[in-house]
Amino acid sequence: MINRTCCSCAILLLLLSINRADAHPHVWVTFHSEVLYAADGTMTGVRHAWTFDDMFSAYALQGIPHAKKGQYTREELASLAQTNVDSLKEYGYFTYARTETRKLKFADAVDYWLDYKDAALTLHFTLPLKAPAAAKTMKIEIYDPSIFVDFEFAKDKPVSLSGAPQCNLTYDLPHQPTAGEQARLSQLDTVPLDPSSTYGEIFANKILVSCP
Amino acid sequence: MSRSRDFTLIVLAAMAVGCTIDVGSVQGAPFGVPHSAPAMSASGLMGWVFAEQAAFYRLLSTYIRAAKDDGAAMWGLFGISFLYGVFHAVGPGHGKAVISSYLVANEETWRRGIVLSFASAGIQSVVAIVVVAIAAVLLGATAKAIGLTVHLVEIVSYGLVILIGLRLLYVKGRAFLIAFRRWSAAPDLVFAPAPVAKGPSATISATTFDLCGGRPAAIAMRGGQCMVEGCTVHGFHCHDDHHESAWGHAHGPELAELEGSGGWRRGLSAVVAVGLRPCSGAIIVLIFALAQDMFWTGVGATLIMGLGTAVTVAAIATLAVSARGFASRVAGTRAGLGMLAMRAIEVGAAALIVAFGILLLAGYMASEQLWMFTG
Repeated sequence: MINRTCCSCAILLLLLSINRADAHPHVWVTFHSEVLYAADGTMTGVRHAWTFDDMFSAYALQGIPHAKKGQYTREELASLAQTNVDSLKEYGYFTYARTETRKLKFADAVDYWLDYKDAALTLHFTLPLKAPAAAKTMKIEIYDPSIFVDFEFAKDKPVSLSGAPQCNLTYDLPHQPTAGEQARLSQLDTVPLDPSSTYGEIFANKILVSCP
Repeated sequence: MSRSRDFTLIVLAAMAVGCTIDVGSVQGAPFGVPHSAPAMSASGLMGWVFAEQAAFYRLLSTYIRAAKDDGAAMWGLFGISFLYGVFHAVGPGHGKAVISSYLVANEETWRRGIVLSFASAGIQSVVAIVVVAIAAVLLGATAKAIGLTVHLVEIVSYGLVILIGLRLLYVKGRAFLIAFRRWSAAPDLVFAPAPVAKGPSATISATTFDLCGGRPAAIAMRGGQCMVEGCTVHGFHCHDDHHESAWGHAHGPELAELEGSGGWRRGLSAVVAVGLRPCSGAIIVLIFALAQDMFWTGVGATLIMGLGTAVTVAAIATLAVSARGFASRVAGTRAGLGMLAMRAIEVGAAALIVAFGILLLAGYMASEQLWMFTG
């Protein structure tokens, strides 16, 4: 019956008006990243140093036993560093690498530790590639697709290159939305993102390595 | 009456409500990132809201530190907390959508919408304070343990939202089915109040549907069908007065159940279900304040943040209630069909509550993951 169909349509319309509600940042990370190359010219991994904002640092430090008020040693922070990298695994360490043709896979983080300075925690860790990769250009992106964590290049020497003097390293700050992206963003209410969408990607922090 | 216009009415009314609810569940999306702040086009408003929110959040830590040395900075902190609450509540996770849908489904007044909004925001603040006071201050629990606690509380909260939605869906679905049956069986009864027909009319009523050109005999039979199907098949509480006089009446018989003290108790359950889930931001602020030995300042800031949140939620709830009021007035001009449209909106709103609950529970909408770094 037509009216039954129409009523269903009306209800469907209501249901469709639900949006995927993405997070707003509650964690701010300023990061330094070092792209690691082996002597044979293959890329082997990325070494990160992520500094959290003071509020999130205080939150993460809650309940961590320490000998001296306001100071934490690397040993005292060892269990928290473990928790951090364990949790980050689920999010792929927010690090995405690719050559011109394929995506690269990272293995689990190694050499990780936390230090605490100026009321901020810094998480150091190395992400080895599952298999060293050789390519003329490498693109490494750091972003949270859900934008819960806001990643920002550190002001001072945000990226560096290790073991590949012949290669050139550049980085791109996240761009301002273009007119087209602006239009898409304004439609997010009515045309929500697919749940698996990684729309945040287009606002990623990009590191580019090009080798001769 | 023109069928197609009737359908348009239903769809428009549903859209009006849908759009209002939409405001409550609006995207956080890439706007949350400070770098995209200067967007001031149509999309710019939300971008601006999220950028402002992020800016206020970052200011909170500065002001909490300042308040440590300078008592006057506390007022600045409270001001920032209030504004943060106002802006923050536009984002997901503050029950605007659930509260608004609840108000629409239950035909509540704006006054009660405001009371429910403030109550849920108040509970939300108090839960955050209680969680931090017990877990962090008394037990010295880690962020991991606190995150887990919050996560468990969330699951309970979302479960309750689903239960409330299902209950409403049942009540409203029943009312809709009855309204639909009446409308499809006897759209013209409004103009000719039906004598209550009893007897074997149910068996022939199906064939009389297409004959609803206003023949008195057919109307009487259709009235009989309603009695039979509505009361017996669907277990509808049948009051004779409704069948005699309430055809064009905009209220379903079950409305009586929703008024009075029972209704307030149900309002309370919605408020508790929504308010149970503490805001991640408030938890972080409280723990940050605690780390600065400023716990009570943090408590003050959290309560004022809740006040700001309440203002936004109440504003959105009021919008939803007015949209419903508008739809109701439009519907009022079309007796039988208007009632059907309103019932449809209520069913839609109840279904939305269930959908919100399921999506939240499935982690589809909830993205304030405190455990992202801390297990």
